[in-house]
Amino acid sequence: MCFHQAVPRDRRSNAINNKELKIGVEMQATAFNILFYFTAAVAVLSSIIMITRYNAVHALLYLIVSSLSMAIIFYLLGAPFAATLEVIIYAGAIMILFVFVVMMLNLGQKAVEQEKLWLQPKVWILPSVLVFALLFVLLGAMQGTGVSQQVNLVSAKQVGITLFGPYLLVVELASFLLLAGLIGAYHIARSPDARAGGTARQHDIDQNVDRVGGNQEQGGQA
Amino acid sequence: MILYLVLVVGLIIAMLAGPYFLGRRRVSRAVNEPYECGIVPVGSAQYRVPIPFYLFAIFFVIFDLEAVFLYAWSVAVKEVGWAGFIEALVFIVILLVALLYLWRMGALDWRTTRQKRDRARVQPR
Amino acid sequence: MNDIGTSAVQSTWLLNVVNVVAILVFVVGSAAFTTWVERRMLGIWQDRYGPNRVGPFGVLQVLADMIKLLWKEDWVPSFADKFVFVVAPTIAMFVVVAAFAVVPVAPGIGVVDLNVGLLFFLAMTSLGVYAVMFGAYASDNKYALLGGLRAAAQMVSYEVFMGLSLMGVVMLTGTFNLREIVHAQEDGWFFIPQFIGMVIFFIAGIAESHRTPFDLPEAEHELTAGFHTEYSGMKFGMFFIGEYVSVLLTAAMMTVLFFGGWLGPTWGFLAYIPPVFWFLLKAGILVLLMILIRGSLPRPRYDQLMAFGWKAMLPLAMVNLLITAVVVLL
Repeated sequence: MCFHQAVPRDRRSNAINNKELKIGVEMQATAFNILFYFTAAVAVLSSIIMITRYNAVHALLYLIVSSLSMAIIFYLLGAPFAATLEVIIYAGAIMILFVFVVMMLNLGQKAVEQEKLWLQPKVWILPSVLVFALLFVLLGAMQGTGVSQQVNLVSAKQVGITLFGPYLLVVELASFLLLAGLIGAYHIARSPDARAGGTARQHDIDQNVDRVGGNQEQGGQA
Repeated sequence: MILYLVLVVGLIIAMLAGPYFLGRRRVSRAVNEPYECGIVPVGSAQYRVPIPFYLFAIFFVIFDLEAVFLYAWSVAVKEVGWAGFIEALVFIVILLVALLYLWRMGALDWRTTRQKRDRARVQPR
Repeated sequence: MNDIGTSAVQSTWLLNVVNVVAILVFVVGSAAFTTWVERRMLGIWQDRYGPNRVGPFGVLQVLADMIKLLWKEDWVPSFADKFVFVVAPTIAMFVVVAAFAVVPVAPGIGVVDLNVGLLFFLAMTSLGVYAVMFGAYASDNKYALLGGLRAAAQMVSYEVFMGLSLMGVVMLTGTFNLREIVHAQEDGWFFIPQFIGMVIFFIAGIAESHRTPFDLPEAEHELTAGFHTEYSGMKFGMFFIGEYVSVLLTAAMMTVLFFGGWLGPTWGFLAYIPPVFWFLLKAGILVLLMILIRGSLPRPRYDQLMAFGWKAMLPLAMVNLLITAVVVLL
């Protein structure tokens, strides 16, 4: 129950001590730990569920949950700006693109069956072994560094000052990258008769409409 | 905050569970058909959706990323001063140019060819 | 943490709980109440009766509707993707009500005081698209899919500059903290220096809650009910309440960001009126304005809607940002 009681304290301390998120009191440390491990568990679990789903939309749903819990972890570790960006960019923009793509392909039951075929044990065993090897290397590297209680807060303002100060060129490069992405995406996605306007699909419909309405218009123009 | 979110979730669960116990169930012939204003459905609803929707999702991702850079700038606009302003100006102009390019190419145009032609016929007069 | 903080927390722990519960009840309750206000006001403006049978002036209509929705059949279409079908209205309601957590109603009233409050609001609104998309996908209905796609494309289009339109305020104050933004308006409300930003945000807010004139996703003459065609009973009710909470949220955020939040006149007896009254008054006027817009404006064509967003609002928001930056730096 200490979890629930500690929460208002935490938020109160935020209100009073805006500038620094120091978690000194024992109870807050426990609350912090519980929250951290809880969200971490949610992140890991939802990721695992995500990769084992056959249905792409269900998988995306869990991926969203996973990135939301990542956002909470970012917040707990003292990076509120990164936390909100995680939600705005990953959960709120990139996943939406994924959902659009899944809906665009919209294969339904066929895709589910195909996915089932693909997810045979012989397919995923080798990658899993490799990933576990990586995990052990990572654990070895992290030896001795537990969850740090002393969190130093990186405010949005600091991020802004760093981005638009020392990392000036990187931001401009990012804008070039975005420009390239924008134009590339358009040229890949546009259909051969896009120049005439509309999509192939719309175009077909229009053709029919034109054919139907054509006679009257010809009369009108003549 | 957590208490609030827990309460919100509780409320939603209550709203979902309430009708489950309160509502009564009926079985009739047309219940399990998609609703299309009384017309018997033809074909499946799993058709492929038009490309522009996907295209706009990409545009959205990119402009959202841009907006996020500008969020970081606007909160520190006083601190980074004119140097930061010029940087942000270049940043915005590059993306406005991209927008202008898409505009010129007609990527932002959702009109059907018929709507375009109707417009063209009306305007010259 | 300092001593004052600890002792204050000890004594106000119960107060916090009361605060949180009161805000939740008030948000959901007033969303339900707004449905009645809207029908009634539309009745007045369109020269017809609104709901006027249940209770005085039909106020209890809300209660009657709620009872009706609760006793409706809890039906999930057999052809639907059942899991996603239930999740979609949950998202619709959760994100908007959760976003209310950062709204500073008055000094001492508010769920949480986040340093990134404004970004939290934007993050929650960006998640709102899922309700529409998943609802459309799960319904397995042609109208729903079309409506959902339209809604999603519209919402993402208007979301881009929704955030940008608010950044002018952030520039003036140098913070994302909503309480600090309200305090910064003691010298003058931001709707004067940020008039363009306010208009853009208002338009984006209406589009985000897909209400008339931006209700093409559920344009009944062509798409039946759009993405929630297959929804009935309380699950439909959740989409419905989500929409009205979203209206309230837009009004509340506009009050906080552009109309001085809880700040009111400080002369004479007016200074004794509690600040929460001013907040509710301003937000209420904005809600009425949104209802008036619904009652008076026609619905544009879809291509006009998208063109307006991308070709007018987005560049305008960026230019507004640059001009504000120049003014702030000078």
